[in-house]
Amino acid sequence: MSAQADTAAARRSGRRRGARIGSGLASYAGFVPAIVLLGLCFLVPLGIIVCYSFWETIDYEVVHHWTFSNYTYFFSVSAYVSTMWATLWVAVVATALAIGLAFPFAYWLSRYVPQRLRVPLLVLVIVPFWTSYLLRVYSWLTILGDQGVLNRFLQWAGITNHPLGVFLYDRPAVILVLVYLYFPFGALTLYSSIDRFDWNQLRAAMDLGASPAQAIFRILVPQIKPGIITAIIFVFIPILGEYLTPQIVGGTGGVMIGNLIVNFFQEAEYTRGAAVSLLIAGFIVVLLLIFRKSLSAKEAYGA
Amino acid sequence: MTTVPTLAEQASPPTAAGIELRSVVKRYGTQTALRGLDLEIRDGEFFCLLGPSGCGKTTTLNLIGGFVGPTEGEIWIRGRRIDTLPPHKRPVNTVFQSYALFPHMTVFENVRFGLKMDHVPRDESVGRVRESLRLVGLEEFGERMPSQLSGGQQQRVAVARALVKRPAVLLLDEPLGALDLKLRQRLQIELTQIHRDVGTTFVYVTHDQEEAMSMADRIAVMNDGRIEHLGSPEEVYRRPASRFVADFIGDSNFFDATVTGDVAELTDGSRVGCAGGRSGPSTLMVRPEAITLATGPGSIAGRVLQTSFLGSYVRVAVETPAAEAPVVAALRELANVPAVGDEVSISWSPGDGIVLEPPG
Repeated sequence: MSAQADTAAARRSGRRRGARIGSGLASYAGFVPAIVLLGLCFLVPLGIIVCYSFWETIDYEVVHHWTFSNYTYFFSVSAYVSTMWATLWVAVVATALAIGLAFPFAYWLSRYVPQRLRVPLLVLVIVPFWTSYLLRVYSWLTILGDQGVLNRFLQWAGITNHPLGVFLYDRPAVILVLVYLYFPFGALTLYSSIDRFDWNQLRAAMDLGASPAQAIFRILVPQIKPGIITAIIFVFIPILGEYLTPQIVGGTGGVMIGNLIVNFFQEAEYTRGAAVSLLIAGFIVVLLLIFRKSLSAKEAYGA
Repeated sequence: MTTVPTLAEQASPPTAAGIELRSVVKRYGTQTALRGLDLEIRDGEFFCLLGPSGCGKTTTLNLIGGFVGPTEGEIWIRGRRIDTLPPHKRPVNTVFQSYALFPHMTVFENVRFGLKMDHVPRDESVGRVRESLRLVGLEEFGERMPSQLSGGQQQRVAVARALVKRPAVLLLDEPLGALDLKLRQRLQIELTQIHRDVGTTFVYVTHDQEEAMSMADRIAVMNDGRIEHLGSPEEVYRRPASRFVADFIGDSNFFDATVTGDVAELTDGSRVGCAGGRSGPSTLMVRPEAITLATGPGSIAGRVLQTSFLGSYVRVAVETPAAEAPVVAALRELANVPAVGDEVSISWSPGDGIVLEPPG
């Protein structure tokens, strides 16, 4: 404990010394490339989008007319609003399923799998990233489609004599593919968090009368909360903005808000598209603010 | 047929032993950790399982705690069979070697955890947690986090957390292993005091013979999955059942001998008195403090190799044809210490020559 305090103190004094030696602008030189890149490729476009969202599109031309009409229009069309809600619940369900699968995987990997087998298993989790994202989504067509593996198997097994269309082009297909795509993010994040856990604590909890489930939820889960929240953020936020998956396997029934944005821009409704983009961005910022406190490991350990 | 014990039966445990292991065998794959262990631990006693690493002492503790199941045999606590119960349903609590405190809870909540799991009402549990923390001298530390405590304090929290549940048996798995010598000695005294205060059966695993000797009512010296000797510290020290026990506990001198009655003939032809007990080729064991050195020739002749002043005694190593290794004597009287190179004769009172089976 005192050793921890010592290293923390050493780190603090080290930082102070660093500031003294590198005083002046020279010490920030390393940041310049990142600032230029971030400024040109993120902040400037973001500013443009913000401006667009408060301008008007008249006859396919963006007119510099300050107005809230893009936002009011979005909320006035019930189909858009219901797509927004649908996007939210698809993201929530897909995130819950992905994390729900990733947690037992990470738990099993770090508790029961011998050290030498862990890296190969983790590599297997990452292997899908070696192929393109587009390809991984398309490949689901060959599984779920009319001529897909699933339908062929059902016909071969005599369960049906014509291809079933229920597997594709609706929200379940979107959720399934999203869970598949984002499981690795959840699994890797949770594993790195669980791997540092002292399993004797679970034994101690059970020794003190906790059932295995109680031990996991009262002892393990609170301690890996920052990891769980990071995993949720890594999975939930990209899913909110998903466009390709609903486009390819979602059909008309699986539309998400990302597809709306694309549609607006394709139809040259730049200002409306910008407004919807900012709605998602705003929602994500609010979400991050809520989670900000839980991400602090300090809070969990009272150090 | 199943019989449900009545309340009266549960309230007054039968006169059976506190803990009973009946021919317990534990195998891990092809390796046998315990080879048919029979053991009775009395209610309320401070019992030590002592032995080198790999002797099966921790396996025995884990079997009682429920973290591993026996391959064969039965385990009973106060007349109730428990080897079929999961850990959280046994009247047993454990102090882990690494303490395994919950880092995200205060000391108070750590100690209260077990009571919460048992749905003890809040008022009662708060009182019991305070009482338990007072027992280990940490009543002021309830609001601290475990990371803000020293090693010794964390160890005490682990004891308080286990004892607050008022278990029939407290298992301690080398609880002082991570602490330095001074602190360890202080906590040894504290643990025996706590044991006296609460009267719970303590089963204590250690590889440190001094720790076992200083705390235990009885010690089981284990080796290779078996109990070699079970007895009070004094018995185990004075009358070790085997060469292994004699060697593991305290210092000892070994002589190859042929025993007839209470006379042992050593390899140099000298005949000395012994406690007897078996005949034929044997190992004769004599503790260093039982050995007397006299100047001049005697029945066992030797020459002093080294003398070391060790505070309360002087350790003298004597080379003799009667033993393979130099014979070590611990002399209390500094006036009679021979000098290096002196010819001396080695002797002991017949009762101090313990006859053991020769090494197989």
